[in-house]
Amino acid sequence: MSFGIKRGVRFNILSESDLERIHWGTLHILEKVGVQVDSPACRKLLKDNGCEVDEKTRIAKIPSHLVEYALQKKKTSITLAGRNPKYDAKLDLNHSFMTANGNGAVAVDFETGKRRPSTKKDVVNSSKIIDALQNVHIHWPMVSSTDQHPSTVHLHDFDASLNNTEKHVMYETGVTLSDAKTLTEMGYIAAGGEKEYRRRPLSSCLQCTYAPLQHDAGVMDASLYFADKGVPLVFFGMPQPGATGPATLVGSLVVGNAEVLSALTMIQLSTPGAAIIYGMGNAPLDPRTTIRAGGSPEHAISSAIATELAHFYDMPSCVGVSATAKEPGDQAVLEYYTGCVGPLLAGADLMCGVGLLEDSSCLFYEQIVIDDEIVGAIARLIRGEWADDDTMALDLIEKVGPGKDFLAQRHTVTHIRSEFFMPNLVDRRSFDAWSQAGSKSIRDRARDKVKDILAHHQVPPLAPDVQKKLDGVIEKAKKSTWGGESKVY
Amino acid sequence: MNYEMETIADLAKQSLKDGVDPLVAIEKGLAEGIKTVGERFGRGEIFLPELVMGAEAMKAALAVLEPAVPKGKHRSSAGKVVIGTVQDDIHEIGKNLVSTMLSSNGFEVIDLGVNVPTADFLKKADEVKPQMLAMSALMTTTMPRMAEVISPLKKKNKAVKVLVGGAPVTDTYAKEIGADGYSGDASGAVDVAKKLVR
Repeated sequence: MSFGIKRGVRFNILSESDLERIHWGTLHILEKVGVQVDSPACRKLLKDNGCEVDEKTRIAKIPSHLVEYALQKKKTSITLAGRNPKYDAKLDLNHSFMTANGNGAVAVDFETGKRRPSTKKDVVNSSKIIDALQNVHIHWPMVSSTDQHPSTVHLHDFDASLNNTEKHVMYETGVTLSDAKTLTEMGYIAAGGEKEYRRRPLSSCLQCTYAPLQHDAGVMDASLYFADKGVPLVFFGMPQPGATGPATLVGSLVVGNAEVLSALTMIQLSTPGAAIIYGMGNAPLDPRTTIRAGGSPEHAISSAIATELAHFYDMPSCVGVSATAKEPGDQAVLEYYTGCVGPLLAGADLMCGVGLLEDSSCLFYEQIVIDDEIVGAIARLIRGEWADDDTMALDLIEKVGPGKDFLAQRHTVTHIRSEFFMPNLVDRRSFDAWSQAGSKSIRDRARDKVKDILAHHQVPPLAPDVQKKLDGVIEKAKKSTWGGESKVY
Repeated sequence: MNYEMETIADLAKQSLKDGVDPLVAIEKGLAEGIKTVGERFGRGEIFLPELVMGAEAMKAALAVLEPAVPKGKHRSSAGKVVIGTVQDDIHEIGKNLVSTMLSSNGFEVIDLGVNVPTADFLKKADEVKPQMLAMSALMTTTMPRMAEVISPLKKKNKAVKVLVGGAPVTDTYAKEIGADGYSGDASGAVDVAKKLVR
């Protein structure tokens, strides 16, 4: 069986002509308004290729033909390899993959229930949980190892992830050139060398552009390096409709698209054929609380139409889901379900990610497994249905005839396993059976499942010599004072 | 309420021409207006864009009225605040919202913008002697910059209060690095600021 969720259903929200208008509108913005490029190296690259660049404002105006060139050079199908090849995620525009959410700084302690800064142990535990779950295919370091030296926090995050899951690890902390170098070195070590890594990249980096229409210097310098070294990248636009983008979702998509396409252009000019995934996570700023409305219907639809645009470009999409809920339970389920189902019905290739609350900042172990269940149900929704001899079952219907039942039939026995979603956490027992078993809520059952995973799930660790080398890289990267590298603008 | 962002500067000029005392115009006109906007936002009757429009209108009018205030006189303010996003971080919107909310609550805000080097925070604090310094960081990788500002700042000037915020920042972290206050959102930041600057 292939890894990932096979899709057979796809909703259409935008028409082909809508998508074309958005594309041409974006090209217009890139030519007339331009984007702010803070990296001198990137400005030089653009200037050398014929862009109009203003060194004072750092604005680069990018002609359409360069964007079209980048779209020709881009990769359509990208494999994000796992440490174990059975977890290779092949982004082929026919499968969807769920990722963990990432880079929170707070965790609710599984033992004490206390909300506290996250630690490396949290990264270890959440990596194990992600490894064990069936419906989450790609790992992210979910929180930060804030108990480690400030200059090495993100390296410990990556280290704990590599050691505790065999799934692909995507990080979002390669935000300066020196970070990029260290993270790449660690990836090469874990893969067994540069050649092996380039063949099967077992890590990748998600890079955020800055809305509206800006590219951070460190992020872009790091990205040029990653692309050159064979590390797959996601460029993730995040305009917030109504705040850092127009309130209209399509207007914000244009802003995000201009950011992603201009980043794609810079990378393809520097490393033609580099693996780039089209990312977008437009959630509105809630106009009453000023909190980002992750998991809102607008977030879901923005992700869905961004996916349609990515596919218009023949690129795999990576779109976001999150929740503003403060604890696992009703609101978190409502937000995660809404946020996942919209984009997945529209064919999202990578959906990131499960398990964090408070808009991707707080880790609850229980929520990871609840979200896994949500994705399981949605995987069934988007599988698709078809009519053939086997599914129509005319012979069987004739055989059973009127007034009988279909229970003790071979057709039934075999198909139940492929046709029905078998829940892990949803309780379908009668009231009596449920109350006799302790009247447990979905959160209680999630807790039991987490306990079971942490007690019993074994992840083969990296080889001792690999571990030792990784430790060495982290030790070397430790800086006595914070901020060894400052960005040049 | 009309949020006269575009026309308010002309109105302010006209009021000066008509002989209105600029201090009275600020305190009885602008300050009262923005207070109403802030209260209505607090009650959920108007939304963020309206609040920002109100603050923009106030800023435009202040630019006309403040230079006309006679030397030696000052408008009353809830306190002076220096604010910015830390070095290597160019995330702006959260810091801008706090800035807006503070001004709409009567604070005098000096906004240093984004990617503000530690030295610039310290220099400005030395120069304008604010009651409060506010910092924002949106990335786990830039958060430690806040600590870099706080220790030399407090060494030099014990009285100045420090407010921190941004998605990865927590109450615990704020305490750890020696900040006086923390808020998870912009409205909360105003309440904390009011408590700190009293």
